[in-house]
Amino acid sequence: MHPSSAEQDLIERARAGDRDAFEELVRRHADRLYAVVIRFVADDDEAQEVTQEAFLRAWRGIGRFQGRSQFFTWLYRIGINEAKRRAAKRPPAELLTSLDDEPIPEAPDWSEAPQVRLEQGALRDVLERAIRSLPVPYRATIILRDVEGLSTREAAEVMDLTETAFKSRLHRARLAVRRSLDEHFLEEQQL
Amino acid sequence: MIRRTIQRRRFMREHRWTHAHLSDYLDSELDERRRERVENHVTLCPECHRVLATLRRTMAGLRSIGADRGGETVAAGVIDRLRREG
Repeated sequence: MHPSSAEQDLIERARAGDRDAFEELVRRHADRLYAVVIRFVADDDEAQEVTQEAFLRAWRGIGRFQGRSQFFTWLYRIGINEAKRRAAKRPPAELLTSLDDEPIPEAPDWSEAPQVRLEQGALRDVLERAIRSLPVPYRATIILRDVEGLSTREAAEVMDLTETAFKSRLHRARLAVRRSLDEHFLEEQQL
Repeated sequence: MIRRTIQRRRFMREHRWTHAHLSDYLDSELDERRRERVENHVTLCPECHRVLATLRRTMAGLRSIGADRGGETVAAGVIDRLRREG
């Protein structure tokens, strides 16, 4: 995902102190950043607040943005760090969720089930809950790579990890979400 | 007996290796030799076959659930705050 020359121009102008240019960058990226942070925080209000805080920090720090990474990966990093900081303040129960990624041997093979429409209704809820129950560093990998569709390199850059470390964490996160679906289909089978 | 033990060990070694590389396989991040290694094991191992198939469906599900975007209000809220505090 390479920035267009128009975006590059906006970044340069913003670095020179042009607030209108920065506001245009806000219009281009605010939705996507909000979509990422909402999965780390309690509700819409907090997600709006974190998004605002991230852009405020970006505006104050844009002089230090050297363009070695892409603008949106730099912005995501600021937003996720802010969201993680807030998540860490919540009651420990939410933070201590285990990462159980082992397959359940007795679970049915639901890969071909015609009723499997993961994007709809109850199953979407299972997926959303599974994502939210992941420890934050694992949650971030799956949100950036699978939900938001960043490349491995981009997502690893946002999280300040090597690609190898990122991929290892992503794999465990995916397996844990997959296991949640195992549990769901096993329960359904036993009804 | 010895041969069976060796085969069993070899199978388990392949099982662990394959399980650890299923995401790389689905992301097309393995070279041809390693792709074949995964495919060979998956045809012999029902568990890895099931995990691979359901992991593929899981990833497709994750791709489809992009969060609701905040719409105009998010950018407007940011810009408002920037004008007040920036």
